[in-house]
Amino acid sequence: MAAITEVLPRPTYGATGLWSWITTVDHKRIGVLYGATALVFMLLSGIEAGLIRMQLATPDTDILGPGRYNQMFTMHATVMIFMVIMPMGVAFFNFVVPLAIGARDVAFPRLNALSYWIFLFGSILMHFSFIVNQVPDAGWFSYANLTEQPFSQNMGLDFWAIGLLILGTSSVAGGLNFVVTIINLRAPGMSLMRMPVFVWMTLLTSILLILAMPVITVGLIELVMDRNFGTHFFIPSEGGDPILWQHLFWVFGHPEVYILILPPMGIVSEILPTFSRKPLFGYPFVIFSGIVIAIMGWAVWSHHMFTVGLGPIANSVFTITTMLIAVPTGVKIFNWLGTMWKGSIEFTTPMLYALGFIFLFIIGGLSGVSHAVSPSDFQQQDTYYIVAHLHYVLFGGSIMGIFAGIYYWWPKLTGRLLNEKLGKLNFWLIFIGMNVTFFPMHFVGMNGMPRRIYTYSSEFGWGDLNMLASVGYLILFVGFLVFLYNLWQNRNARRVSHDPWDAPGVEWTISSPPPAYNFAEVPRIKGRDHYWIVKDEAREAGNPITEPEAAVDPSTIHMPSPSYWPIIIAAGVGLIGGGLLSHYGVSFLGGLIAFIGVIGWANEPPAAEEH
Amino acid sequence: MSSDDLKRPALRRFRPRRVVIFGLLAALFLLTAACSQGFQSTWDPIGPVAEKQLQLFNVLLWTMVAVFVLVEGALLYIIIRYRRRPGQPRPPQIHGHTALEVTWTIIPTALILGLGIWSVFTLFELDQPPTDQGDILEVTVVGHQWYFEFEYPDADGNGKRITTANELKIPVDRPVNFILESDDVLHSFWVPKLGGKVDVVPTRQNTLWLMADSDMIEQPLPATYYGQCAELCGIAHAQMRFRVTVMSEEDYQDWVRDYSPPSALTPVSQQGQTLFAIHCSLCHSVDGPELESVAQARLDQFLTGAENAAVPGPNLTDLRTRHTLAAGITDLTVENLRAWIKNPEEIKPGNYMYSNALLYDEGGDASLTDTEIDAIIEYLLNLR
Repeated sequence: MAAITEVLPRPTYGATGLWSWITTVDHKRIGVLYGATALVFMLLSGIEAGLIRMQLATPDTDILGPGRYNQMFTMHATVMIFMVIMPMGVAFFNFVVPLAIGARDVAFPRLNALSYWIFLFGSILMHFSFIVNQVPDAGWFSYANLTEQPFSQNMGLDFWAIGLLILGTSSVAGGLNFVVTIINLRAPGMSLMRMPVFVWMTLLTSILLILAMPVITVGLIELVMDRNFGTHFFIPSEGGDPILWQHLFWVFGHPEVYILILPPMGIVSEILPTFSRKPLFGYPFVIFSGIVIAIMGWAVWSHHMFTVGLGPIANSVFTITTMLIAVPTGVKIFNWLGTMWKGSIEFTTPMLYALGFIFLFIIGGLSGVSHAVSPSDFQQQDTYYIVAHLHYVLFGGSIMGIFAGIYYWWPKLTGRLLNEKLGKLNFWLIFIGMNVTFFPMHFVGMNGMPRRIYTYSSEFGWGDLNMLASVGYLILFVGFLVFLYNLWQNRNARRVSHDPWDAPGVEWTISSPPPAYNFAEVPRIKGRDHYWIVKDEAREAGNPITEPEAAVDPSTIHMPSPSYWPIIIAAGVGLIGGGLLSHYGVSFLGGLIAFIGVIGWANEPPAAEEH
Repeated sequence: MSSDDLKRPALRRFRPRRVVIFGLLAALFLLTAACSQGFQSTWDPIGPVAEKQLQLFNVLLWTMVAVFVLVEGALLYIIIRYRRRPGQPRPPQIHGHTALEVTWTIIPTALILGLGIWSVFTLFELDQPPTDQGDILEVTVVGHQWYFEFEYPDADGNGKRITTANELKIPVDRPVNFILESDDVLHSFWVPKLGGKVDVVPTRQNTLWLMADSDMIEQPLPATYYGQCAELCGIAHAQMRFRVTVMSEEDYQDWVRDYSPPSALTPVSQQGQTLFAIHCSLCHSVDGPELESVAQARLDQFLTGAENAAVPGPNLTDLRTRHTLAAGITDLTVENLRAWIKNPEEIKPGNYMYSNALLYDEGGDASLTDTEIDAIIEYLLNLR
């Protein structure tokens, strides 16, 4: 066994270079990897959305054709949800959580790296479907039995199911890691009720991930078995039940919605106090409403299935539970307004995005109430009204929150501020483009346009609003390019202090970018808005507010050494999946690699040998 | 490094003007939208089900508009009123207010429970067809890839069975109870002006009742309305449309009485009948409702997914009385039908007629001469 670890000895810590990124176990770098990967996928999936808007801009268009169109909306949603918004959330968990709780890393640094590499390889595997031209085409929800023989004859759905199975393992590992980290690694003084809201939302999201991903995993394994090994869980002509898939999918799928929105809610709850110069209003109520949402999120899944024919009793129950979930959501919004009330509001780019989040999320939440009511939903289900609603929640909510977070924590990551002028241009383009794209869809939907149709005749009168939506997409796309340019030009920007926003969070007490060990001395947390308290005390004592100098020699701080094993195991896992899609021999090879990787991991010396 | 050395550049002040511009834009959208009333608009119901659903939506809509104005108004007021001014001291550090929290929990809860209870009443009210509004007509809707089939087990009250496709005929002012079935994948049956959709699910028999109300119909009968499949069901999902013709009771009974197979009276149409039997009858029935065994045999073959397997095709018995072709996507004219038989793939990509019928095995047009195609058309449409 030792032979394995002699072939690949523990790498020493390299500050730069590709190798240092491949073997890194530093939570900040892993956060950057997650974020950068998610941005690439955001661009890809955004282009898919562009093709969709091109096809729909005018009636009777034949640019993509029905086959490609189905592939585009399937991949657009799958990629945005699983490879953009979820990993963006995880990017923030990684970069922010250890810094915000005064920890030097996450609880399991190598597991953290493993989560990332599995995510990356799973995503790439799913995108191989484009190379072999067998692209998933049954929607992101892939309702059975359209996903079964004889209705789905190529391997697209296998790519989809196996890709998602691999991504699921990454999410569960990540979720466990953050639960353990948040419970165990908080600095002294940071009680649960002093934790930043973002950390609370990370904790709740991680719990949701651990509980929700296994449900879809069950469904996906049954689907793969149906498609490849002759079972018939979902095949009606063989006695299976396609509705079983819907229940499995949405029991996962609705908590998933909160997995996508709780982290941005946490981000916004950090940004609003900073730029209002006021502590968060009703902190315990914001936390408890988050907990209530995370619990109630499990009791509403059948509102996605109102038209399935579950009967009026089931529909009544899910109508009421779904409507009630608006209450804790409303409480959050009122508390955000309370935070800004009598504040001193500064309109920086992150603040604009946070305000954009609130403004748009309210619209998404309100339209949500109209299809929480099942008799009203019968007319809206599967129409563009729903498309409008979900984009107000996921784009107006999640994506706006993610942009807010990127602008807010960027100076901590790089030591440089993103350009504010470009940032505001970026914000207004995205904000206006978002509304021009998605607001008309409410009306197109109420005028009877179903989702997932690749063409429509001009006689239905949907042409003008669809054209408007497509123009909105162009504005959005330009806005996104401005964002990318802002990131690109940032390498030449002026350096700013460690605390450019005068923020309350623990992460702002250390230098930017933070050293590998984060905190030379583990901080003692003085309260909910730790750094504000520290700065107030310093001001009262007449001391200048400076970046803390390292009180101990950094070389004496023990940090986890880098490791090859995460990427090796992840490659093995990716090959297992790839083999299921090509030749089982590849799966065995992948299994062998993963097995060797696990043994190497277990026998890895705790630190690199000094030479 | 002291933070004072590296101050951020001062930021420009917030301009309320932008908010006004955005508000005007939003108003413009509303205006454009109000003007568009389409064939599938849910704003324009012609029956009690759609009307009740619209009433409920309208109440929700105006509640939403009120909440929107209040909350977004508060948001805009706060960010304008409390924007940072130069030299402003740190604002009062307020941590919360329990009475306020309780208030803004209880008020929305009460509002939502009120709306919720009303919704539940509407839900139960719409669940079963009314028994005091005339005889209920039973229609079985079968969803197929990619058309709807309509079976009337007792069309005229005297036991006459009818099977037709793509065009549903219903009498005005009578509740119609639909039984929804599928033998292949999920579909969703939706006629927006008559009422909300219900999914068509294999293994299940869902029900839905709808009624066309003569008081709400603003055009002379027979009047035609549009419907469409609303659940992704494969490659031609967008082209799975249908029409609903609302007729007076007399017209409806006439249609029922006249429902009969096409008669081959001329030599050309007799040739068409023969050609139909050879090339088309594996999938299409033309002599009234198909026998259970025939339908089952087609389905069994179809589910094997084999290359030239028979498919449950639309019943063509009363094609001559229909107005549309290929699941409501184009008008039924001799020219269109000729083009359709010649190359259906160009009109409706992905359809099974093109992929499965031996006629098209060479991958191009049908292996029939124009005369032969015209003979089939003459037979089906009973042209003289």
